[in-house]
Amino acid sequence: MRESDEAPLDPPIVRAPSPGVFVPVGLLVLVLLPLLMMPLAAVFVFAFRGGTDAFREALAGKESQFALRFSLLIAFATAAVNSVLGTFAAYVLSKFRFPGRGALTTIVNLPIAIPTVVVGTSLLLLWGPIGLLGRTLEPLGLQPMFAPIGVLLAHLFVTFPYMLGTVKPLLDELEVTYEEAAATIGASRMQTFWHVTLPALRGSIFTGALLTFAHSLGEFGATVLVSGNLRLRTQTAPLYIFAQFEAGNLAAANAVAAVLATLSFVIFFLLLNMTRRAERHT
Amino acid sequence: MREWLSQALEQTRAAFVALLLGALLLYALWPWLSGHARASAPRTLVFYGFSILDHAITRDVFPAFQRRWLARTGENIELISSFAGSGTVTNQIIMGVPVQLALLALEADAVRLADAGDVAPGSWLPLPYYGVVNRTPIVILVRSGNPKGIHDFADLARPGVRVVHPDPLTSGAANWAILAEYGAGARAHPGDPDAGHDLLLGIWKNVVAQAASARAARTQFDLGFGDALITYEQEGLWDRARGRLHGEIVYPRSTIFTEHTLVVVSKNVASNDRALVDSLVAFLWSVPAQQMFVRNGFRSVNQSLADADTTFHRIEDPFFVADLGGWERARPGIVEGVWRRRVLKELGR
Amino acid sequence: MSIRIENLDKRFGAQVVLERISLEVAEGELFVLLGASGSGKSTLLRVVAGLTMPDRGRVLLDGRDVTTLRAQQRGTGFVFQNYSVFRHMSVGQNIEFGLKLRKVPRAERARRCDQLLDLVGLPGFGSRDAAQLSGGQQQRVAIARALAYEPRVLLLDEPFGALDVRIRTQLRRSLREIQERLRITTVLVTHDQDEAFELADRVGLMDRGRLIEVGRAEELYARPRTLFGATFLGSGTLLMGRVEAGRARFRGLGLSVVPDQPHEDGAPAHLLVRPEDLQVSSDAIPDDLPELGRGTVVEESFAGAVRRVRIRFPNRAEVHQASSSRSDSDGFTVEALLTVHEQLPDGEVRVALRRWHFLDPPSASLLVADPGHGSIVALELARALSQALGAKVTVLGVAVDARQAGGLGWRIQRRLTRAHLASGELRVRYGSSPSAQILNEQAELLSQMIVVSSSSVLHPLIDWAFPGKAMRRAPGRTVLALIESTRVPVLVVAGRPRELKHTLVVSTPGAAETDFLRESARLARPLKLAATLIETGEERQMARGEDPFVARGIEVRTRERVTAPDPGSEATALLQFPSDLLTVPVIRRAPHQTNEIEPLVAALLASADRPVLVLPVERTETYTTTRSD
Repeated sequence: MRESDEAPLDPPIVRAPSPGVFVPVGLLVLVLLPLLMMPLAAVFVFAFRGGTDAFREALAGKESQFALRFSLLIAFATAAVNSVLGTFAAYVLSKFRFPGRGALTTIVNLPIAIPTVVVGTSLLLLWGPIGLLGRTLEPLGLQPMFAPIGVLLAHLFVTFPYMLGTVKPLLDELEVTYEEAAATIGASRMQTFWHVTLPALRGSIFTGALLTFAHSLGEFGATVLVSGNLRLRTQTAPLYIFAQFEAGNLAAANAVAAVLATLSFVIFFLLLNMTRRAERHT
Repeated sequence: MREWLSQALEQTRAAFVALLLGALLLYALWPWLSGHARASAPRTLVFYGFSILDHAITRDVFPAFQRRWLARTGENIELISSFAGSGTVTNQIIMGVPVQLALLALEADAVRLADAGDVAPGSWLPLPYYGVVNRTPIVILVRSGNPKGIHDFADLARPGVRVVHPDPLTSGAANWAILAEYGAGARAHPGDPDAGHDLLLGIWKNVVAQAASARAARTQFDLGFGDALITYEQEGLWDRARGRLHGEIVYPRSTIFTEHTLVVVSKNVASNDRALVDSLVAFLWSVPAQQMFVRNGFRSVNQSLADADTTFHRIEDPFFVADLGGWERARPGIVEGVWRRRVLKELGR
Repeated sequence: MSIRIENLDKRFGAQVVLERISLEVAEGELFVLLGASGSGKSTLLRVVAGLTMPDRGRVLLDGRDVTTLRAQQRGTGFVFQNYSVFRHMSVGQNIEFGLKLRKVPRAERARRCDQLLDLVGLPGFGSRDAAQLSGGQQQRVAIARALAYEPRVLLLDEPFGALDVRIRTQLRRSLREIQERLRITTVLVTHDQDEAFELADRVGLMDRGRLIEVGRAEELYARPRTLFGATFLGSGTLLMGRVEAGRARFRGLGLSVVPDQPHEDGAPAHLLVRPEDLQVSSDAIPDDLPELGRGTVVEESFAGAVRRVRIRFPNRAEVHQASSSRSDSDGFTVEALLTVHEQLPDGEVRVALRRWHFLDPPSASLLVADPGHGSIVALELARALSQALGAKVTVLGVAVDARQAGGLGWRIQRRLTRAHLASGELRVRYGSSPSAQILNEQAELLSQMIVVSSSSVLHPLIDWAFPGKAMRRAPGRTVLALIESTRVPVLVVAGRPRELKHTLVVSTPGAAETDFLRESARLARPLKLAATLIETGEERQMARGEDPFVARGIEVRTRERVTAPDPGSEATALLQFPSDLLTVPVIRRAPHQTNEIEPLVAALLASADRPVLVLPVERTETYTTTRSD
């Protein structure tokens, strides 16, 4: 028998959560409950109040279907275009030194600070039929506003900074030597960008695209102004929800709202998952 | 082994994300991929209407017209519509929305379009009934059982009554309501030049919520705001017909009949669409269309149809905007002059 | 492939990063560029790789001028300090990247990849995720990647700097093996002298953008030619002396050695004493070994096979410590290496030189303190002097704080261009005491003369308010403080620009006991000055027998005695003599005292309308004894 067996073992130390923890945690939940959780729950409660059949019926409508599809298409298009534009902008702003670079960075990030309603108004005042550029375009039969392309323009504008925000920090961090290494190995600037820089940015481009997608899906302020809110043509899901809500069709509004909320949750958890994995990787 | 597992897990996750996004994209593109989308885009007309027209137009009138047009010409046409407060609609048209037809809640908005150069001044007057498509009186909706005992506009001025009112800035109904309130006051005391103003002031003291359109005001009322809602009769009738009316309609002794004006935005009508537009315009006054409006709670401009329908409550002392000198006098005189410059000021808003 | 670098110059803005660099690396050689951070060694490597474009000069690989080729076209292998392994690729993909770009068939790529993984000691790592590897492994991958496309030059920029010591040693050994096996021409940059010694066929020492010395490691260690080489590599002590009659003599020490390098008479001599060159014993030392002196052991430390001993001498000698502490005001310390078996008593020991090495006679150098505003006469004069003496010019700007320093640098840079002194090195220092900054710089650079404007310390506003250059200015506090503490001649510049042809040597009564005349003559000769010799005061000071001026073949126009009742009128009288330059003494009574400014010198400095050369001279016992032999 070994010596240690004779000595009685001390019980393992278990640290109980101090009672002081419950007060702040409880308080936080109490604040969050009516502020965040319950409103979200209410959407789903109302969506299914008439039963799943009513929910399905509300969703099956031609207009709600169109609104959802249109929103998704715009979101995909916005994410696709801004992935390219945003990555390009981030690359230029991060890798090149030129006068006015600071000012350009600020301008490019401006949409974050501008209220979306103002974005809508300014787009109308530029591209609209009575706008600065629109006036000359209209005789040519080009009319970007109150058309899907107008909605896309507004969404591109509003979501532009998100791509930049996720890609540029990574590009800034990416050592200069990373690209120099490729250069010494013999890769041209294009090859370096394509085989070395872009793959390194893959994750953040995807994150940025998801963020853009999510924001586009929920965009309201600018869309309501530039779309003309035309049913079956430019009405996005949020506009549909608002119109149906105003018209008192709460069931229809909530059904689409519930779908939109679910989509947002999925995207949110994807993003969360990705950032966690990214953290684990570094 | 663990490396292999984590790699496999990673790949599964990536596949799941790709699948999800692919499915979403497929869903969004389905109508265009599945061939449901028509091979060639049909001719389209864009129609803007004020809020309460939504159901009557999109569910009844348009499908009927599309069927009739198809039967007559063999052509499928697309009718695109948007509904909002009459003021909002007017503003959007002024901003340049490419709309061909607009049914506005009040002639005054048509005048604004004319002023902005979007339509020729008075271009709606040559249309049947001077362009008025249908009408409906301004009434009061109260809670079931009328707990506050509201029977006329004057009762809304009593302290403690909370009134939900559409916003005159964007809503046609609100403009009508102001005329109704003012007219009711004036007609009750014919000798008193301030009677209209006094009633208006009394009611607006009690306004607790203003919504952008008649529809939005009713949604607010439905959600439990206020004791009384001033709105179109059509709103109440339409809900009642569907068993959704959470309250009662109160008919004031004197009230105004709202008249809804159609404008054709000719500059947006392509020459080859002219016949189509004219046909749709004519259809709006046809008996079947007017009957559809009646079924949706509007009163027909066609007197024979209006008289034939006995379901409508008789209004003791109805009046029209013409009785107040037409919109060209009523708007500056009553809405701007009395309500905005006097009442709002007196209320300190 | 051989590398040849010719006259490379590179500036980043106003900062000189590479200056006149020429170098040749032979085929198959492993060359190490050694220097402190900021010395320009990495920039030089990047210029060879084509990552940085030089402003001037050429780079030749195998005799082919590649200066204008971009990095992609040079095909060198480059390894970075931070590995820069492509994290999104596998190890294999990293290594094959260069081959893929060159359209090498897949099978051949795989074969090369396996070969290289074996070579760098990572067999079977091909499919691993590059991001999952340790730092040392990543650097091995980076080396394999750089070798994959068979470049004929391998360039490594501090490749082991980010690794811990154990891994660093392993990798060094691997690199040496790989290099020996492939015989690839290799240039490695490091700040670590152990690394340089272990790896290098030859070492190039870099400092402030210049390639100071090139040679085999042992050579550089044992026989450095420059002060920088001597102090950067290894430890040791430098003794500063002067050559007289073919022997180097050291002030405060009884030491007198014949230099192993030819030195001119009167030139400064720098003797390098490495710890292992010292013979330490408690009793008598062999006669043939020159004795450094008697000191006490103040510190002993055990270092394996040897013992490090620090011995302190009470003498006040001029020394420059290669490492460890500086000399203090009443003594200095040297380090010696003893075998473990040598026992020493606690008391006094005698230290002798077993071996010694003299640095190349230092090239003349001038330190110009420039205020960044006002007249540029001082700068112009410095240019003339540097041409006459073949001296290097360093221009120093002294600012109050870091913020001011930036702007000052730019202003002085412009002034240098105006004075045609663009070749001068510019340094900006900041601190509360300008004279201390100037003296520190002088001590660091071992400059042989300080040039300062008499109005150096005047505020630019005064310049603006009184634009007339004719306005006489008394020397400022900085100049006086400088003159009081300097050990080297200070040229105080005043008046209009003029060519220096004729100096008035003013020997004050106090200078009689000093070396003033000899020093004046030593300085006058290379400048080809004619001299007028003036004695002041009552006594006769000039030695009749050996006249240093005559001995050096200097034209002496007149010899006169000037006396006046007070220093002011004496100065006025002296300024009546035609001359372009006044040479005056300041006298130090004892080695560690400040210089004494005699009233006449002060009066001359205050009223001079021409440059004044102030020579610090010493009156000591040691001096007397050296003169007597």
